[in-house]
Amino acid sequence: MLSIHARQVLAKAILPILILLAVGLVLLGLVRRPAVDGVRLMATDFMAPAYHGLVWPQGRVAVWLTDLRGATDLAKENARLRDENRALRHWYDVAVALAAENGRLKNSLHWIPQTVPQYVTGRVTRDDGGPYSRAVLLDVGSGHQVRIGDVALDAAGLLGRVTEVGPHTVRVLMINDDASRIPVTLASSHGDAIMAGDDTAAPRLIFYPQDHHPVEGERVETRGQSTMPAGLPVGTVHYSAPNRPVVVPDADLDRLDIVRVFDYGDDDSQAPDAPGRVRVKKLPQNPLTGPLPFSWLPNLPDMPGRGGQ
Amino acid sequence: MVAENSTPHLHSAVEPKQTFRRALDMSSRAAMPSLFIMFSAILLSAPFGIPGQAQLQFGIAMCTVWFWAHSRPRSMPALAVFLCGLVVEIFSFGPPGTVLLSLLVIYGVAHHWRYGLSRLGFLMGWLIFSIFAVIASFFQWALVCLHAVALLSPAPGLFQAALTIGIYPSLTALFVWGRRTFANPDQA
Repeated sequence: MLSIHARQVLAKAILPILILLAVGLVLLGLVRRPAVDGVRLMATDFMAPAYHGLVWPQGRVAVWLTDLRGATDLAKENARLRDENRALRHWYDVAVALAAENGRLKNSLHWIPQTVPQYVTGRVTRDDGGPYSRAVLLDVGSGHQVRIGDVALDAAGLLGRVTEVGPHTVRVLMINDDASRIPVTLASSHGDAIMAGDDTAAPRLIFYPQDHHPVEGERVETRGQSTMPAGLPVGTVHYSAPNRPVVVPDADLDRLDIVRVFDYGDDDSQAPDAPGRVRVKKLPQNPLTGPLPFSWLPNLPDMPGRGGQ
Repeated sequence: MVAENSTPHLHSAVEPKQTFRRALDMSSRAAMPSLFIMFSAILLSAPFGIPGQAQLQFGIAMCTVWFWAHSRPRSMPALAVFLCGLVVEIFSFGPPGTVLLSLLVIYGVAHHWRYGLSRLGFLMGWLIFSIFAVIASFFQWALVCLHAVALLSPAPGLFQAALTIGIYPSLTALFVWGRRTFANPDQA
């Protein structure tokens, strides 16, 4: 048993010791952030079933509310759905015709088909943002093959990229996070740009060509780079202020539920070396022993392909 | 201690018999504030989609530690603050250690000034708490900027500070009631 004096000293010393430990955690977070985030991811993995249980009543209430709203206005809703169905049938016919034409054209061009990407579908376990970041955690189950850098999409468009991978859970950094930079292509003005998140609902467009300003309302797609394939729908251009183009994302970033994570594989389309830069094996200094029959020839080039060096 | 043992009839020489059940009841009542922080931190990490959920985690922890550290420090010892801070850290994704450090600092201030704070009244206590809430949010913003090596907008931090300051009166009302009833170990 400690004496009264020792207990008093301990009581006085405990707060400074705990503050020092907290400062240590702050420093650890600055130096080794992945280690701390790994612990957090493990806790989320552990809590994932409980989260589903917690939000289940909320989901049921939302479904009931939608049903109730539909039931109160059945005639109008039916008319709207009939119109929409008619329009969708038209677009279905157009899509089938275009797919057939596309197939014929690809066939005549000897088009090399792209590999089908692997994907997993997961439910958003939790919104993982905090005041300064925009990220979500997905429950993708055990035995998944998701890797860092994989692309996450919802039903409508690009959502973000995977930044951390746990045993059951992956963390997706959304396109409107402050740290997100995605290379994009503008569909009609054919300019390239970088889409930079700024913690608002609509990420900004930066580094676009000054002679090809983005056009209001044009489509924005991903530019093929590293593990990001080309042509994924991102959103549309909108000018929130003069000379400030932003992208209104197709994906519903505020209300995420089911998200697919695609693995497009490593980028193995390496450009060939430039003609003047071909590295060649060095020939042995003296491959042949004895006098050469053509040693009288002046200045033989000893290495082919060094023209550019 | 300031506010505890304030009810005179509890000072009577006749004390209830110390049984295991009573000890359990007393400790659960004493642990109520810490359990409240941990439970709300875990609950608010679920994907409800409520705006400002992450900011509420921080705000509830700050208000709870501030109130109990100056009004009944026996229900909120430094070690409990540390454990609560760790739980909030694990169930949030902000810059590591900032919530924990802010909680410990605000605990130190409230615990050190508890006699003065009890004389100052609610409004003055709220004002001092507000200053520390703004400082803690600013500290968090500075660390995020340091980590991102960029000057980020301080608006989310200001929102967090405003939310923390705004929920303090309603939480105080709950805690004042709890201090008399369900979180009062003397009533076990």
